[in-house]
Amino acid sequence: MVKFLTQVGLYFLFLKKVFSKPEKPRIYYKQTMREFVYLGLTSVGIIAIISFFMGSAITLQTAYNTENPIYPKYLIGLGCRDSIILEFSSTVAALILAGKVGSNIASEIGTMRVTEQIDALEIMGVNSASYLILPKLIATLLFNPILTLIAIIVGICGGWVAGTLSGVITSENFIYGIQYAFIPYYITYSLIKTVFFAFIITSVSAFQGYYVEGGSIEVGRASTKAVVYSSVLILLFNVILTQLLLS
Amino acid sequence: MISVKNLNKSFNGHRVLNDISLSFESGKTNLVIGRSGSGKTVLLKSIVGLLEVDSGEIWYEDTLFNKLDFAEKKEIRTEMGMLFQGSALFDSLTVEQNVRFPLDMFTDKTPVEKNERVNFCLNRVNIINANKLFPSELSGGMKKRVAIARAISLNPKYLFCDEPNSGLDPITAILIDALIKELTEEYSMTTIINTHDMNSVMEIGEKIIFISDGMKCWEGNKNEILNSDCEILNDFVFANSLAKKLRLTDK
Repeated sequence: MVKFLTQVGLYFLFLKKVFSKPEKPRIYYKQTMREFVYLGLTSVGIIAIISFFMGSAITLQTAYNTENPIYPKYLIGLGCRDSIILEFSSTVAALILAGKVGSNIASEIGTMRVTEQIDALEIMGVNSASYLILPKLIATLLFNPILTLIAIIVGICGGWVAGTLSGVITSENFIYGIQYAFIPYYITYSLIKTVFFAFIITSVSAFQGYYVEGGSIEVGRASTKAVVYSSVLILLFNVILTQLLLS
Repeated sequence: MISVKNLNKSFNGHRVLNDISLSFESGKTNLVIGRSGSGKTVLLKSIVGLLEVDSGEIWYEDTLFNKLDFAEKKEIRTEMGMLFQGSALFDSLTVEQNVRFPLDMFTDKTPVEKNERVNFCLNRVNIINANKLFPSELSGGMKKRVAIARAISLNPKYLFCDEPNSGLDPITAILIDALIKELTEEYSMTTIINTHDMNSVMEIGEKIIFISDGMKCWEGNKNEILNSDCEILNDFVFANSLAKKLRLTDK
């Protein structure tokens, strides 16, 4: 328990260091642009592929579960839309990003720690936590909502393709279903969750990497911890945010 | 001048620095020597502020460094250059960008002036036509030289080197030693070098401090070190068989 509380305290002190005033904003801007590419753009592919197949699977499963003739066919499109917007595009995509981006951040910063690159920054008088992590945070907080929107669009397209190709629903019914009883707030809800999850993934992973002590084995462990802790926190905050935003 | 007074540092109850007091001479190459695990790196990291000491004082001229906060330390830190054991070059930056990094962070020079300074520093350490290479494309000796170029880019007052020769062949090691000594004289820096390489000691040691178990055991210069009465120091200095034979022949 003491160890857990110490870690929580250290995490908040770490955040204080991360959010302290940048030395040279112009350099931070350049770093942020670099992180947009490394953490954001390079994730578009995996998010698009997974969203497409998840949308397809959700559509086929919904069709299987609504075979009874009393259910109108357009429910398949509606089910696909709501599942993707409410849960998949934010929570499942965040879990995937925790694996890809979280492990990347933890291992990059952890390696910098064990090879004394962070010490080199500190010696120069640079606030290493802020210089290394603030650009990553800004990049993920701004880019992950874009990934969520991509996941929504591609996921629904995947559902449409799978539904029409397999013949479980006609194109007209699917399109009617995704337009039926649409609540725009669901998109807002999904984007709010995404911002929280982006913060969790980046800050928790960076924290794990920043305080690594030892060598390559410890960097590997930090990377694993980053993914596990981020995933658990994402699931926990998913419940909390859903209660706060949808109830 | 840099001096430390009654420094103590422990890790999990194991005392690494044991009430150690030392002073390092300005404008000279000061060598801290000792066996592996004797506390040299902890001492150096404490002096530069990478480790918080348990008790004691670290003075840079008239400033009590270890009592300053991060912002206050920053002023002194911009006057420091450090060469790490593994070079610690930034992997994601090219050679040129590594050397330019402190200039970008702490100066308002124009891009042309920065480029001039970068090329001057790289030429000074004999790195030619490698500006666009990444650290992973350099040899161990080149990495050390680029790290030295980065360390001197802001004209530091203090240069710290942790095992500058580790992992280098004897000829490259001598070149690195000579380079550090030349730069120390050229910029009138106070240089502190951690080493257990006796070649370095005999080549560049203007002031030598021998530490063992976190305590200072001996202090002198390269002429005095071979005739010391300190037994632990003699065990260290004459550890290899060639040195032992030469000593016996001499006697």
